[in-house]
Amino acid sequence: MREILKHTPGKIFIGVLFVSLAGMLFITRYFTSKILVFGWMTLPLFAGFVFVAVWLIAYLIYFFKFWPYK
Amino acid sequence: MTIILLIVFGLAILAMAAYGYKISAKTAEDYMLAGRTIGVVVMFFFVLFAVSSSWTFYGYPGFLYMHGPSYIYFIWGSVAGFAALYMFLGPRLWAIARLNRFLSPVEVLAERYESPFLRVVLSLMLLVFIVPYVGIQPLGVGLGFKALTGLPILVGAAYTVAILVILVILGGMRIVAWVNIFLGAVYASALLGSLIWAVNRFIPGGLTGAAEFLMANNPEMLSAPGPQGYFTPVIIGGTLVVGLMAFSWPHIVIGVMTARDKLLFKWFPILIFIFGGLFFYTLPFIWGSLVAPVIMPGVTGKEAADSIIQTIITKQLPNWFSVYVLMGVIAAAVSTAAVQLLTSSVIIARDLIQGLIKPDAEDSQIIKWARWSVVGIVIISLVVSLRYTQAMALYLTEVTIPGFAQWGPALVGGILWKRATKQGAIVGTLAGLVYLVAGLFYRPLFVGMHPVMPTIIINMILFIVVSFLTQRPSEEVQSKFFDEVEEFLEAG
Repeated sequence: MREILKHTPGKIFIGVLFVSLAGMLFITRYFTSKILVFGWMTLPLFAGFVFVAVWLIAYLIYFFKFWPYK
Repeated sequence: MTIILLIVFGLAILAMAAYGYKISAKTAEDYMLAGRTIGVVVMFFFVLFAVSSSWTFYGYPGFLYMHGPSYIYFIWGSVAGFAALYMFLGPRLWAIARLNRFLSPVEVLAERYESPFLRVVLSLMLLVFIVPYVGIQPLGVGLGFKALTGLPILVGAAYTVAILVILVILGGMRIVAWVNIFLGAVYASALLGSLIWAVNRFIPGGLTGAAEFLMANNPEMLSAPGPQGYFTPVIIGGTLVVGLMAFSWPHIVIGVMTARDKLLFKWFPILIFIFGGLFFYTLPFIWGSLVAPVIMPGVTGKEAADSIIQTIITKQLPNWFSVYVLMGVIAAAVSTAAVQLLTSSVIIARDLIQGLIKPDAEDSQIIKWARWSVVGIVIISLVVSLRYTQAMALYLTEVTIPGFAQWGPALVGGILWKRATKQGAIVGTLAGLVYLVAGLFYRPLFVGMHPVMPTIIINMILFIVVSFLTQRPSEEVQSKFFDEVEEFLEAG
C-alpha cells in the first residue's frame, strides 16, 4: 500500500475504493424500499454487485496499468 | 449405500493426503507453507474454501431466511477485506517472509517489533479464538449426517475429525491447498446443483416468480429491516465493517506467505471479485433469501432456519443427491478446518515451542511438534464445542471475528508504517483484547455496538498514540522490513 500511495494514480485508486465504501453505507437508508432490479434482485444484492464491479474495474485499471510492482 | 458412498469419499481425500506425503520435501517450509510454491489458481481455491466453511450452508442462509437480504453486507465487506489483504498487505508480507525465511505471520510481527513478549501474546490470542472455531466444523457435519442417515451426531463428527487429522498430519499445507480444489469443486457444484434443481422443480416462474411470490405473501423478506426488524441502517453498516475485518483472519493471512511469486498479487483479486463476489457467495444468498422462503415458508427458530437448505434437499430431492450435498458440506467443513488446524499447529510449533523454548530446533523436530499439536488442538476444540454447543453458532461473529481483529492494527502497522513501535503494538493489542473479553461478559460495555467496533477503535487509537510517544524503531528494523523489501519488490 505504501507504493500505491506514493503516486497520483494510486491515490485516485484508493480514493475510488473509499468513496464506494461510503456509498455502500449511504445507500442503506433506501433498503426499506421493496424495489426489485431485473424483477428479482433485492437492493442489498444489487448494491453489492455495483460495489464489487466498481472495485473490480478500479483494480483492473490500476494494477494492470499503474502498479509499480507489475 | 449412503454409508458406502461417504466412506469412498473419505478414502479419496485420504488417498490425496497420502500422495502428498509421498511427494513432500519433509522440510518445515514445505510442511507449513507448501514450500512457497502456490500459484494463483490453487491459491484462489485454497483461500476461497478455507473461508467458506459449513457456515455458508447453515448459518448464512439461515440468517437470511430469518432476517431478510441485508445480511449479505457481511459478504460484501468480506470480499473487500480479502481483496484488500492481497492488494495492499500481501506483496509486502510475502516479500518480508520470503527474504527472511519466516514461517508464520506471528513470527513476522515478533521480529518486526523485536518483541518475544508480543509473539507470545499474539500466539495465545489467535489460538484462543481459532481453536474452538475448528470444533464447530465437525459438529456441523454431524448434524448433516444425522439428518440424512439417522446416526448420532458424534458419528459424523468422528468421521470428519478422522479425515481432518490424517489429511493435515500427512499432507501439510501443500496437499491441503490441492485438496481444497477437489473439495471446493464438490461443494460449489452441490450448492449450485441443488439450487438449480429446487428452482426448476418448485418455482415455475424462476427467481422472478419467487420474488413475486414473496412480494405478495411475505414482502418483509425483500427489504430492510427484515421480518423481525433487525437490520437498521446502523446494523447494516456495522455488518459491512465486520466483514471488512476478514483481512485479519490468521488462516487467510498465512495463505499469503505460500505464494510462488509477486505476480500472484496482481492476478488474484480478479478471482476474488468475479468468482467469489459475483458468483459463489450469491448462491447461498439466493437459497436463503429467495428460494427457501418460497418452498418452505413459516419455519421458526434459529436451529430450524439454519438447517433450512438441508431440510428442503432431504425432503424434496432424491436421496442420492442428498448424499452428494452432504459430501459438499463435508468438503466445506474439512477445507476450512484443515487450514485452521494447520495455522494453529504452525503457531504452536514455530512461535511458541521453537520461539520460546528451543530456538535451534531442526526441521524434523518442528514438523513433529506441529503434527502432534494437530491432535491436541482437535481434542481441545471438540471438547469445547461439545460442552458449549448452543453458544457455538454465535462464536464466529460475536467472538472469533472480533478476536482476530485485535491483531489487525499491529499487523497493518507493522507492515505498512515505519513509525509503528513495539510498545504501541503491545498496548493496543492488549487493550483491545481486555476490552473485548470484558464486554463479552458485560455487554453494556460495547455501548450497543457490535463487539468489533469499539474494541478495534480503542486498539487503533492506543496503537497510534503510543507509537508516536515512544522511540521510533531502529534503523536496522526499518531497513530490513521496509527498504530491503521495497528494493526486492521493485527489482522483479
